[in-house]
Amino acid sequence: MSVGRDPVDAMPSYDDPLARAETVRLRAETRLAGTIADFFLDADARLDDRTRLMLAHVLDAIVGSIEWDIRRHAARSLAGNGSTKAGEAILKAGAGGVVDRLTRAGLLRDEELMDELITRVRHDLIAASLPVEVAEPDEASLLVRLAGVPDSIVASAASALLAAESRRRVANEQGVVGGSELPAELHHRLVWWVAAAIRDGLPHATRESDRAITDAAQRSLAAHDEGERPDAVAMRLAGALDARPNELAAVLVESIGDRRLSLFVAVLAHALGIAFDQARAITLEPEGDRLWLALRALDMDRPTIARIGLALSEADPRRDIEAFADALDAIVSVGVEDARASIAPLALNRDFRMALRALARTSRR
Amino acid sequence: MSVFDPSTESPIAHAIVAPDGSLSFADPALIALNQRAGGMRGAPLAVPQLATIARLARRLGIVVSRGVVVADDETDVDLWVRAQPDGENVRLTVSGWREIAAWRPARPAPDAQNDFLGSDTDWRWETDSALRLTFVTLDAGPKHGFDAFALLGQPLTAMFALDAGTDGTLPILDSLARRRAMAAQPAHLRSSGRAVTLTANVRHDASGDFAGFVGVARMVVEDALAPVAADTLSPTFTSGLDKALRIPLARIVANADSINAQADGPVQHDYADYAADIASAGRHLLELVDDLVDLQAVERPDFALAPEPIDLADVARRAAGLLTVRASNAEVTIVRPAMDARVPALGDFRRLLQILVNLVGNAVRYSPAGSHVTVSVERSETQAIVVVADQGKGVAPEDQIRIFEKFERVDPSEAGGNGLGLYIARRLARAMQGDLMIESAPGEGARFVLTLPADPARH
Repeated sequence: MSVGRDPVDAMPSYDDPLARAETVRLRAETRLAGTIADFFLDADARLDDRTRLMLAHVLDAIVGSIEWDIRRHAARSLAGNGSTKAGEAILKAGAGGVVDRLTRAGLLRDEELMDELITRVRHDLIAASLPVEVAEPDEASLLVRLAGVPDSIVASAASALLAAESRRRVANEQGVVGGSELPAELHHRLVWWVAAAIRDGLPHATRESDRAITDAAQRSLAAHDEGERPDAVAMRLAGALDARPNELAAVLVESIGDRRLSLFVAVLAHALGIAFDQARAITLEPEGDRLWLALRALDMDRPTIARIGLALSEADPRRDIEAFADALDAIVSVGVEDARASIAPLALNRDFRMALRALARTSRR
Repeated sequence: MSVFDPSTESPIAHAIVAPDGSLSFADPALIALNQRAGGMRGAPLAVPQLATIARLARRLGIVVSRGVVVADDETDVDLWVRAQPDGENVRLTVSGWREIAAWRPARPAPDAQNDFLGSDTDWRWETDSALRLTFVTLDAGPKHGFDAFALLGQPLTAMFALDAGTDGTLPILDSLARRRAMAAQPAHLRSSGRAVTLTANVRHDASGDFAGFVGVARMVVEDALAPVAADTLSPTFTSGLDKALRIPLARIVANADSINAQADGPVQHDYADYAADIASAGRHLLELVDDLVDLQAVERPDFALAPEPIDLADVARRAAGLLTVRASNAEVTIVRPAMDARVPALGDFRRLLQILVNLVGNAVRYSPAGSHVTVSVERSETQAIVVVADQGKGVAPEDQIRIFEKFERVDPSEAGGNGLGLYIARRLARAMQGDLMIESAPGEGARFVLTLPADPARH
């Protein structure tokens, strides 16, 4: 995301040339600081163009959908109470400018939120680029097959994943999201930010308008169902499948060959007993080291690790397949117990992990 | 038509790469490719892309399949490479062998995966290899009365009832059998009975096998008006076209070329490829601009060309030389006039070259692989003659007048060309006091005969 623009109205008019000159000078400084930061940015840290573009779309779409949810509902309840003007003001004041307002305030730089969104975008882009591998000619693909099995728990979870992934794809392609599909905490945070930004844009906030915005925000929070997120649905399917150790390699390889990256991640998470987001993080890391260790911890053999590594490399230009091929023998030689020990921190409680991360960050300063 | 036809079976070549990276066995096609890349018997495989895949497969110990583009002399060839470790060796299976096709103005089947949907009544669908729906545009459901979610995982035929085409066949069967894009499969929606047209691309898996369709459904609009073909080109249309289009187009082409060549630093591989597509499409448009400008010129009543003494045999040899690369890609041999042949004539050198490049280019385009295009010269007392003969399918008598008309082509579905070339060529020939004629019968190839006044001073 770009650094947000200053609002046009913040620029003093020529009636006050001193103030205007000062504002322009400050802007130039800010711009220079941004350019310098950009120049010294590690190439590794830089988003590639596709990811950057899609991230901007996703962020706009999510904030936009929450914004309009709140505006519409608040306006309707105000109009219902006879305050038509106040309702119209909520619809109009600063409409569509919430992303800019939140960016300017630095709120969207929230590490957890951006981590989740960047990871989601990377996940979707890589999933879309995975090479297809047909297990058996004329046999239905993995997820379609699972949707038709007699075990109704597996079948309904597989159907739900098919639907959730289709929804996500439509959202990515058309920029129209049905909901934020964010984890509940992040959704919660974002809804209140958006509500605040809407209120901030009102020329005359009143107690009624505050109440209407609050009600609308709470309604949006209540409607959010974390369980409908593709991640959650994939975890449900992985749990229902509960792949046995001797089936695991086949399920992992086939889910990646069916380009169902979320199922791959969920099966991996389920088998390792770690959270989806952790499994997703190690799956998407371009180095891949933690993924190889995790696969060794599950006692995956050389061909399985090689297939997974090859497929991910074909889909993700950041990966170095040559380095992977060089390292493969060393990876396979890691003992299962050693591998388990190396990835043990992944299994820690999420809040505990976050706290440790925050501590580590402050001690680096 | 001799240029690559995706419907024909592509040859498959095999090779065995020894542990030291050399070819211990290879089919002739691969030996030739390796030699052209500078490789020698016993030396390491010289085609870098193939060597990389073989090495990767050996080191990973699994099958590695990839599509690669390999430079072969002056052209790029699209190959599908499968490398399978076999003990110490790696077995290579190379198929595809498709010359990177020139950009086509009209594609026979829309590239459903990348095309924008034509209108908001169109929607996308995808299947797996067993033709079960894996994706359906969700908002199409409410519009057309089906439940997209319920259809996911169902057979394609749960959504559409497939109808036979005009010739009584089902395009989808052809597409499945030949693993190629499905064009215009008529069908109707089970939910509403409305007619739709299905087009789809085939998705291949890493082994090159059928992995499903990526398709678009288009509602059939019953009273669609046929586009009205404009048969005259108003002077106001072409006037200024040159200035308005050529400079921006040339800039687009130049920039796209430099992006493709990565002149300003490295760019991601697929962007470089997009840039090549942009440059290629831009060049096609530039050609069209050239033709339209020519058209405007030749249609002026006072259009004439100042004759100058030229050697028609020399122009013919140059035209043939310019098309050698295209001809060899199409496996067509051009037989040129002997080096010592001289045919003095009166004409405009640049325009003559333009006519002959057009004639030889057409001949190459419509020649079957392995055939000859013969460019020969003759002279009589008053006339200098050049004949371009091919061994293609020929032109039926009823088409022989039509092909010299504006925007007329024998087969409008063929790629390349805009139907202006022969019209302009004949007008140019006549403006030089010459003429351009065709002699042909279906199945016997075509002979284009260009006559010019002989140069009496040098006769």
